[in-house]
Amino acid sequence: MEYLSVALAIAVAALGSAFSQGIATKAAMEGISRQPEASGDIRTTLILALAFIEALTLFSFVIAILLWTKI
Amino acid sequence: MNFEALQVVLEHVRPTVVFYLGNIPITTSVVNTWIVMAIIIPLAYFIGKRVRTVPRGMQHLVEMLVEFFYGLLEETMGREGRKFLPLVGTLFVFILCLNLSWFIPGMLPPTTDLSTTLGFAIVTIVAVQLIGVKKRGIGGYIKHFFQPNPFLFPLNLLEELVKPVSLSLRLFANMFGEETVVMVLFILIPLFIPTPVMLLGIIMGLIQALVFSLLTVVYISSFIHGH
Repeated sequence: MEYLSVALAIAVAALGSAFSQGIATKAAMEGISRQPEASGDIRTTLILALAFIEALTLFSFVIAILLWTKI
Repeated sequence: MNFEALQVVLEHVRPTVVFYLGNIPITTSVVNTWIVMAIIIPLAYFIGKRVRTVPRGMQHLVEMLVEFFYGLLEETMGREGRKFLPLVGTLFVFILCLNLSWFIPGMLPPTTDLSTTLGFAIVTIVAVQLIGVKKRGIGGYIKHFFQPNPFLFPLNLLEELVKPVSLSLRLFANMFGEETVVMVLFILIPLFIPTPVMLLGIIMGLIQALVFSLLTVVYISSFIHGH
């Protein structure tokens, strides 16, 4: 049961993060294909945005590790 | 699933104490940081000593890096952004080398230790706050906590306090996660399968170093421009 909570903590966070990263990347790709000259600018912003989104998953990863080592 | 084996993995990716300096325990991550420093500092010194107008060899790489960061800094802060190159560039090069030190056999990258990344984050955030104080003056710096209206003061304070936490946790969790995944794959299937994931580790190390320095730039520019 405790292992289930660890698995759920990381799985749910990864699910949400994957969806939102997909949406962000889709928007960025559309932007690049419409306006190729702005690609450098868009790429930098995209990496930043992905890092921010990913951070939430990583927080839950840390929590999962904490839960797991406590058990 | 054999949980004993996973416990062994965790023991492998956790830093161990090498020796004591007085009362302070010196862990493997500190020693590994020293090793990486011992590689970078002489390299940087020798490259910097023999700078030519027509670049040759390693100088190409360094100039590429410097020009990339000049472009980034000027894009966000204009001409005055150039003077922050030493902070941002050093962070990038140092974190990149620490992340990639993983590929020296038997070496645990120091960035998989939360203490290292927290050290980086605290240095960065203190530097950013000092830049903010220097740019706006003490009054302006305190005033920026009360904008756009005084009710947002707790939120603004929280924002500043959360910055080092998220900065350090991001780098730590990415590198630690990568390391753990490769270790687990090595235990499950030791042959060929972990190689693509290790390749992903190179890209991850590069991107995380880039993200750390990019966030530093963003934090500095938020103090220079206001929100």
